[in-house]
Amino acid sequence: MSQVLHEIEKKIITSLKNNEKQTPENLEKSTNLSPDQIRRGIEWLKLKGLAVVTESQAISLSLGKNGLESFHKGLPERRLLDLLKHESKTLQDLQKELGNVFGPAMGLARKNNWVDASEEKIFLKTFPSELPGEKALKQIGENKISKNEIDADDLSFILKRPDFIIENVIKTKEISLTDTAKSIEITTGLSGEINVESKVPDVFVARTHPLKDTIDEIREIFVTLGFTEIIGSMTQPSFWNFDALFTPQDHPARELQDTFYLDGISTKKIGTSEQIKKISESHKKGWRYNWDINEAQKMVLRTHTTCVTIKHLAENKSDEARVFSLGRVFRNEKVSYKHLVEFNQIEGIVIGKNATLRDLMGIQREFYRRIGITKIKFWPTFFPYTEPSLQTMVYNDRLEKWVELFGMGIFRPEVTKPLGITKPVLAWGGGIERIAMLKYGLDDVREFYNNNLSWLRSTTKCQ
Amino acid sequence: MPVVELSYSRLQKLIGKVSKKQISDSLPFLGLDIESEDKDLVRVEYSPNRPDYSTDLGITLGLQGLLGIKTGIFKLNIKKSNNYVIHVDPSVSKIRPFVTGVIAKNGNVDDNLIKQLMAMQEDLHFGIGRKRKKSSIGIHDLDKIIFPLTYTSTNRDHRFIPLNSKSELTITEILSSTDVGKEYGAILGNSIKIPLILDSKKQTMSFPPIINAAVTTVTPKTKNLFVEVTGINKEDAEDMLSVVATILQIAGFTLYSTKILGAKNTSPKLEPRKILINSNLINQTLGLDLSNSQIISSLKKSRLDATLKGKNIICSVPAYRFDIFGPMDLVEEVSLGYGIQNLIPILSPSQTLGQPNSISVKLKSLSLIMVGLGYTEALNSSLTSKRVLYEMTNREPRNMISVLDSKSQEHTILRDSILPGLLENLSRNIHTAYPQKLFETGTVFSYGKPINETTNLAGISAHQDATFTEIKSILQSALKTGFNLEIETKTSSNPIFEEGRTASISINGKTIGMIGEINSKTIENYKIRVPIVGFEISLSGLIFE
Repeated sequence: MSQVLHEIEKKIITSLKNNEKQTPENLEKSTNLSPDQIRRGIEWLKLKGLAVVTESQAISLSLGKNGLESFHKGLPERRLLDLLKHESKTLQDLQKELGNVFGPAMGLARKNNWVDASEEKIFLKTFPSELPGEKALKQIGENKISKNEIDADDLSFILKRPDFIIENVIKTKEISLTDTAKSIEITTGLSGEINVESKVPDVFVARTHPLKDTIDEIREIFVTLGFTEIIGSMTQPSFWNFDALFTPQDHPARELQDTFYLDGISTKKIGTSEQIKKISESHKKGWRYNWDINEAQKMVLRTHTTCVTIKHLAENKSDEARVFSLGRVFRNEKVSYKHLVEFNQIEGIVIGKNATLRDLMGIQREFYRRIGITKIKFWPTFFPYTEPSLQTMVYNDRLEKWVELFGMGIFRPEVTKPLGITKPVLAWGGGIERIAMLKYGLDDVREFYNNNLSWLRSTTKCQ
Repeated sequence: MPVVELSYSRLQKLIGKVSKKQISDSLPFLGLDIESEDKDLVRVEYSPNRPDYSTDLGITLGLQGLLGIKTGIFKLNIKKSNNYVIHVDPSVSKIRPFVTGVIAKNGNVDDNLIKQLMAMQEDLHFGIGRKRKKSSIGIHDLDKIIFPLTYTSTNRDHRFIPLNSKSELTITEILSSTDVGKEYGAILGNSIKIPLILDSKKQTMSFPPIINAAVTTVTPKTKNLFVEVTGINKEDAEDMLSVVATILQIAGFTLYSTKILGAKNTSPKLEPRKILINSNLINQTLGLDLSNSQIISSLKKSRLDATLKGKNIICSVPAYRFDIFGPMDLVEEVSLGYGIQNLIPILSPSQTLGQPNSISVKLKSLSLIMVGLGYTEALNSSLTSKRVLYEMTNREPRNMISVLDSKSQEHTILRDSILPGLLENLSRNIHTAYPQKLFETGTVFSYGKPINETTNLAGISAHQDATFTEIKSILQSALKTGFNLEIETKTSSNPIFEEGRTASISINGKTIGMIGEINSKTIENYKIRVPIVGFEISLSGLIFE
């Protein structure tokens, strides 16, 4: 493998080829590089596996205050022995001569049986030619000497004596080349080359939310299929969320355990008096109960975006239109891997004189084709406000099974007639999270709202 | 949606010549979703508007039609009888005015049938019965009763032995101590009078809509049944009765009529209705070109009857199909009989030009600008909690908009601000690499007429060197680049931000939001170890209305 080397690296390698093991200080001299350049160069080479750094510790010794004094004047015990070499002396005399080193000197001399004492005098018993520690003291002298060079036994006699020896720990680095490096031919020439193959740090890309990406994609598909987007409020009177869609006031879906009612909030303005009259009549006739305006005035968090489209239809009464609405909807459910209390829904309608169930199926098939789903089938189902009603099943390759996606149908006459809508209305819709889960391969819908940064940062943008 | 468990081998016996695969392929085309399968057992979801599908007997009728084994209407054959009379006392008129019933004899009552009947009863009580309020059923062992019966009323001291009990209880005791009493007692309200069915020996048979008497309990030894339905509406009560009668006739019982007299009650007829339908409506709705005979045969496959009369088709709908309101419901029946799988999707060219809503367009471009500035988009629920919105951020709860009876403690209050949610997001990411920069656009709520919904943008930056200057630059650049708007900041105070390091944001003198360094107490509450700066502005009234 060819290696791209920096000038600094080249110089270091060349020097080490000539002189196999060098300290950084040596390298500074041999390459003429600054200490910082050497430090960086060694780091680079190490990362590339071209240099090996062996670290070692060395201890050097020098003499402390007492050590130096002993080096010049002799060890206290030597000086004592010298004084006694020719004659015995009294304790007082010796003390006078030796001063504050007398005590340690006398102690050692006695312990080693070099001296003895009679009534009044101290006299010499033996006179050793060399005292323990004396050789080491001479060796060190006024220099710094590596501890290895000194006889450890001899040193031990003076090592522990106060202020005799100073130990300095020196860490040394030695740089050597690996075999790979040794085989590198250093060529002069291009400088400023970099290692384009090495690893670099990750940068976290800021991004739009994956679920938003899916929402935007779906919006785009609807627009290209000729649909215009309408938007509406998330808080709605029950009138538009339920009554206008022929859901009776005593229907289980309208109960507290399925729908979020706003605590203590109703609205007087729910619709025109004509709309209220006709819708209540349709309920009384179809469902046989006493329709109550108070119930219709209760505010709920919309349970579907269909309330937005039906209100739009009631206000515009178009004969020919394609509109859609998408946004948050709410269900009072227990949160789980497949249920959220708040999720996004897409809902579209086609109104037209010749709109048929087969058209509705065709638009579905085209929609799925555009988001990359080709294996679909239609099954009958039931919705309170459409007749006929269908659901799409799409095949999920990862789960190896058919999953339910959109619901669809044609608005019942009981829904359209009271609002003065005379042409057939094809309607369909479903949860966007379901599609996004398929796209991102998620099994837990809560992931979309956890805002887990590592997921947001790592999820591939387009799939 | 309710679920029913079926056995393939039993269905095969009931339906006639048919393979297991044919059954499992056909179930979805009746509108029954297969939930799970385990060898011989299959669990299917059925629509609440088809209580006849709560039993395998009802599903058998549907499958026979779809597979062409038996088509046309399944006629109720109720033999006329004068032996079974129910007198209605006018005293029930104000509490539960209607009663209806039918006799079923010589059927095979086994554990399976009892199980199926109970499941069906449960379903009827919940759906059409609206939790027994509108109508409720009692099924009794006929041979323990001596006709004629009286549907009357009594007071709360009345005593009898209720189902699943060994001793006599008063009505008051039943309502306060039994499960059904506690659950359904409220239907009777504070009425002093309580509905009751007695036989000719004054023996209590039933206390509708709460509980039957123990004496008429149906067991595998039962041969003959009496079914009664009471309710507040004659039609609903008879609809309910028609489902039970149909299922019992399929199960092999012979049906006999009851004679109901008094207080505006009449004997039930349970006869098919006639609905007129035009073939044009069918073909126009479905996008097909079916001949009249094809339409008639499709309707028969859906277990209805049809004959041609001039240009119209007269359709006969059995009483148990009360989900059929009018012609459009028959169009669906034709499509089911014809086969949904035989409808080929078509893509008609669009007559309209589509366009996204201008608010969506502006929000998307704002998102892209924030991303360009290095901010990652977050999404949070608009329904959140007092803890996130106020407690963690030291904000005063004011005019909270709450929802009733939320099943989730974390989703009880509509947000009035986006920032608290973003702070909560940071607290969940304290082990992820910094800097962390997030933004969100979304709806916030406040009291209005009756509720104001405003779209806000909030941004937040958390890292060791986060400063006021940094976040102000971001907001300034976003609005300048996106919408050529110049912001001003004025010293202000706000509990979410640090005193002396927060400002209100205005454009041309109009305040649109707030900006600052997040209060250190809040940062501490969330156990975050880096400084955080953030802003929130209202986009409604700024870049769109």
